[in-house]
Amino acid sequence: MKTNTSFSRGLRVAAIAVLLGGVGVWAASGARVGWTQTSAVTMQRDEITGIDFPVRHATFDPGIEVPLIGAAFAAVLAGVSFIPRRAPQAA
Amino acid sequence: MNTSLRSSFVFAAALGVSALSLQAAPRAFDFKDPKGVNNVQFKLDAPLESITGTATGISGTVSFDAAKPEATTGRIVLDAATLTVGNAMMGEHLRSNQWLDVAQFPSIVFEAVALKNVRNQAGQIQADVTGRLTVKGITKDVTAPVTLTYLADKLGARVGDAKVKGDLLVLRTNFQINRSDFGIKAGEMTDKVAESISLSLSIAGASPRS
Repeated sequence: MKTNTSFSRGLRVAAIAVLLGGVGVWAASGARVGWTQTSAVTMQRDEITGIDFPVRHATFDPGIEVPLIGAAFAAVLAGVSFIPRRAPQAA
Repeated sequence: MNTSLRSSFVFAAALGVSALSLQAAPRAFDFKDPKGVNNVQFKLDAPLESITGTATGISGTVSFDAAKPEATTGRIVLDAATLTVGNAMMGEHLRSNQWLDVAQFPSIVFEAVALKNVRNQAGQIQADVTGRLTVKGITKDVTAPVTLTYLADKLGARVGDAKVKGDLLVLRTNFQINRSDFGIKAGEMTDKVAESISLSLSIAGASPRS
């Protein structure tokens, strides 16, 4: 019985950690409401023609799916923690 | 003596006329840009945020005569595989057969057939270009405002070699198209992605002179 309780508690702690981790990463990177960006553009100007042109570079800017996926995973972990389990029987 | 003088005069006049006609002749500007500056930017509204992207695979030729800009014609080709957005997965969807089907329709083509309402403003030529835009194999007539900037003798400066002689032609245009006109998820997902696509084109072509 003790084993079951500690396993469930571990799952719930993990669920909270995942939830806070997802929200934390998202909030710390600017809480973008849009989708995750894996590349970004900076504009430069060609001196002769005066054309503004994009220069694309790799980046990782977490979007709204990061806390959402974190919340979904946390919900699964929390849900599993409530499934009743039979304690291992003593030999 | 008289005959010789007349011959010289005729020769000089012919030379002058041919020089003038050379000067006034339309020139072909190649828009394959080795510097990678030529670009198209596009934008679609979506519920969470606007989807913006870029493309740089531009080629084509424009025939332009500085003395007769209304006669400008040409063909600009965009390599659809170079269309890129900030989200890699979204970019794959965009290029997939669900949206632009780049594998089957690798080029987006604009063929300029006429320049109307031509006016010269502060060294720039502004006009309305009429042409045929082909996206995903569907061709539609399009009219868009265009600004042409003719940069005489600037090719050498651009390529960093003063010995290279030639001119540059810069074209800029902003216009909108409807994705349903070109069979891009026509009538579908209108709650997720706007029907209208804003396009912004900034390209420079070169015409070398020997």
